[in-house]
Amino acid sequence: MDIVLAAEQLNPLVPHTVEIVVGLIAFGLLYWVLAKTVFPQFEKIYAERTDKIEGGLKRAEEAQAEAQRIKQQYDDQLAGLRAEAARIRDDARAEGQQIKAELRADAEAEAARIRARAEEQILAQREAAVRSLRAEVGSLATQLAERIIGSELSDPARRSATVDSFLQELDGVDSRQPTGAN
Amino acid sequence: MTTMATAPAPGFEAPGVEDFQLPPIFGPVTKPVLELALAAIIVVVLFRLAVRKPQLVPSKTQFLGESFHGIVRNSIAKDMIGPEFLRYVPFLTALFAFILVNNLFGIIPFIQFPTFSHPGVPYALALLVWVIFTVVGIRHHGLGGYLRISTWPPDVPWWVRIILTPIEFISNIILRPVTLSLRLFGNMFAGHLLLLLFILGGQYMLFTADSILLKILSPFAFLMGIVFTFFEAFVQVVQAYIFVMLTASYIGTVLADDH
Amino acid sequence: MTGSLNVVGYGLSAIGPGIGVGIVFAAFINGVARQPEARGQLQGIAFIGFALSEALAILGLVLAFAI
Repeated sequence: MDIVLAAEQLNPLVPHTVEIVVGLIAFGLLYWVLAKTVFPQFEKIYAERTDKIEGGLKRAEEAQAEAQRIKQQYDDQLAGLRAEAARIRDDARAEGQQIKAELRADAEAEAARIRARAEEQILAQREAAVRSLRAEVGSLATQLAERIIGSELSDPARRSATVDSFLQELDGVDSRQPTGAN
Repeated sequence: MTTMATAPAPGFEAPGVEDFQLPPIFGPVTKPVLELALAAIIVVVLFRLAVRKPQLVPSKTQFLGESFHGIVRNSIAKDMIGPEFLRYVPFLTALFAFILVNNLFGIIPFIQFPTFSHPGVPYALALLVWVIFTVVGIRHHGLGGYLRISTWPPDVPWWVRIILTPIEFISNIILRPVTLSLRLFGNMFAGHLLLLLFILGGQYMLFTADSILLKILSPFAFLMGIVFTFFEAFVQVVQAYIFVMLTASYIGTVLADDH
Repeated sequence: MTGSLNVVGYGLSAIGPGIGVGIVFAAFINGVARQPEARGQLQGIAFIGFALSEALAILGLVLAFAI
């Protein structure tokens, strides 16, 4: 049939050589230009965009970590200072205690020393008094005896007055003596 | 068509294969040849405009270029190829853009001829794709591994294998490029024929036919022509998408570690 | 009325693949509706199935013009 013949002459499945050649060259050039200049730019921009977003997140994380670290450091420092202050206070208290104890010991020692010296003095004065008494008692007794013997022994009232006045003389010596010793 | 044939005026010559035989413009250069060159120029110029001043916050043209690239990169290549998809994204994007522009020539006024309703370039592109996925497969698995992955599905009893292996061989190694190119060609061819039928038919009804009824009805033919123009726009985009999608999926299957 | 019987044959032969492609994508849509996270995997399988069934229609087209 002529229809079949016509179809054979104009078979749409038969390619045109010129088209194939031009098409391949056109596509090849197109691919070459795009792959060399355009798509790397796109990929670069995608990468930059991703980097910008992820980088921002990362930077925020880093800042937070840094803040955390500094806070930790500050806390540590604070705790250290607190411990230091407590230590200093304890030291001061201990030192004060020690100083107090030392002062007390010193004062006690001083007091003991003063007391000892006072006792010594008292002893010495007493000895001196005893010594002077011992020296005086003889003469006094002798004087008293002389006066008694010299006056009338029969009058008891005179006798007792004599004794009293003598003793009063002695008292005046006695009452003067201790104030001088102190 | 029977109505038209009964008209006493010269019968309606339905558009056919001969409408696709375009006269040369000069030398061997015909309209599709010019369209091929024009398509390449358009794609290159548009993409160069998109990256003229690359910025992190994209301008309008840059955003369009990035979206186009991003569709091929993220929803075709990444899903179909797997972890090594980045190497193939430039090829797939260039292929998609080239085919899309050439297809859309079918409905762009004054050009109105889909380049790929001539089968030459689809053949060439499909052959290119075949070479690429074969080379990728052989490089990735070795010749034996590539053949095993393409023809030797695992866990199949031997008596099924007798039938299955030749079928797999034919469908995976021989028919893949054939169907890839012919699908594109066939859709463009049929779509253009459809538009021709409506427009030429309407023209015939309006100007040539004697019947007044046909003259009155002719606007409907033109209306259908417009409706089918939109349909063709859709088909053209879808065919470009499917071509790239299948290319990516073929590369993906030869890269996969099991069948 | 003129024309090629081959093209009628092609029209008939395209019925089967047409149904097949419809079934493939129906199954794909069902699968994605049930498990949206499996979309990437299903998409690859769906398109391979689609290509396989449509291959028959394309063979019909070739034969319609070639014989």
